Amino acid sequence: MPTLDDERFEAHLKRFRPLAPEPLPTVGTSRRARRTFVLGAWATAAVAILVVGALTLHIRTNRARVTETIGNVGNPGHLTEDQPLTMRSANALMAKAPSFKSMVDDMAFRAQKIPLPKGKRSAVALLGKEKIKL
Amino acid sequence: MHRTDGDTAEIEFLYRQHGPALLLFAQGVTGERSRAQDAVHQVFLKLIEKGSLDRVADKKAYLFACVRNAALNEGKRRDRNAPLEPDSAWFSPPDRDYAGERNLRCALGALPNDQRQVMVLHIWGELTFSQISDLLDVSSNTVASRYRYALAKVRDSMFAKENSCANS
Repeated sequence: MPTLDDERFEAHLKRFRPLAPEPLPTVGTSRRARRTFVLGAWATAAVAILVVGALTLHIRTNRARVTETIGNVGNPGHLTEDQPLTMRSANALMAKAPSFKSMVDDMAFRAQKIPLPKGKRSAVALLGKEKIKL
Repeated sequence: MHRTDGDTAEIEFLYRQHGPALLLFAQGVTGERSRAQDAVHQVFLKLIEKGSLDRVADKKAYLFACVRNAALNEGKRRDRNAPLEPDSAWFSPPDRDYAGERNLRCALGALPNDQRQVMVLHIWGELTFSQISDLLDVSSNTVASRYRYALAKVRDSMFAKENSCANS
């Protein structure tokens, strides 16, 4: 049995508190890492959704613009004279023209209306008016 | 076994509650604070990794047993018996009694290993003689006897000459 002195001495010893160990290395970091991972995953998912949405929107807008352009130039009758002949308009003509001949005619016999400064005359127009005797 | 946040919280609570006594006990076994720290960390990291302590009846005694095994294994692995570190503090002294802390540390250091273990487990680990007897695999009478010897030696040592530990 411990004596009274023993008990008092034990109480005295208990006043000396053992030093606390250093914090566990992974408890704090594992929680932090898990939280960072979850936040990172959410952020990545959000960015991916935004990128996919932006791409989809971009592709749809482009398609709509092409369709609109094709629609505008597609009708051979609507190909105005001041509109330049491009690969796109040629393709559109080919797609929309009733026949290959009409398409080629439309492309080949287009009047060139190039505006000339005042007092100047087109050499081609003058030559066209000249009577040449063969 | 799946680990839950509740299990981790419980293990963290046990670490905060018993960590200081476990560290002191491991220091008594290994002789070095850094090795003792490693042993305590090793035990708790394994607990966190493997799961809960639900099946353990006496968690405090179990933790002391785990730390003792880890400290002994560490000692075997390093294959040396390091003397107790004389300079690093083991305790937070009451009323800034640093001389008393040093005397207590020296007195504990001068004890035989088995007596020191019993004393640390009983006073700062707050384990009963029965729990200590299970932990160290000796009879309760042996535990009580070791404790009585240890207490007497520490008391004599602490109240003897101030520098008595320097010679021990």
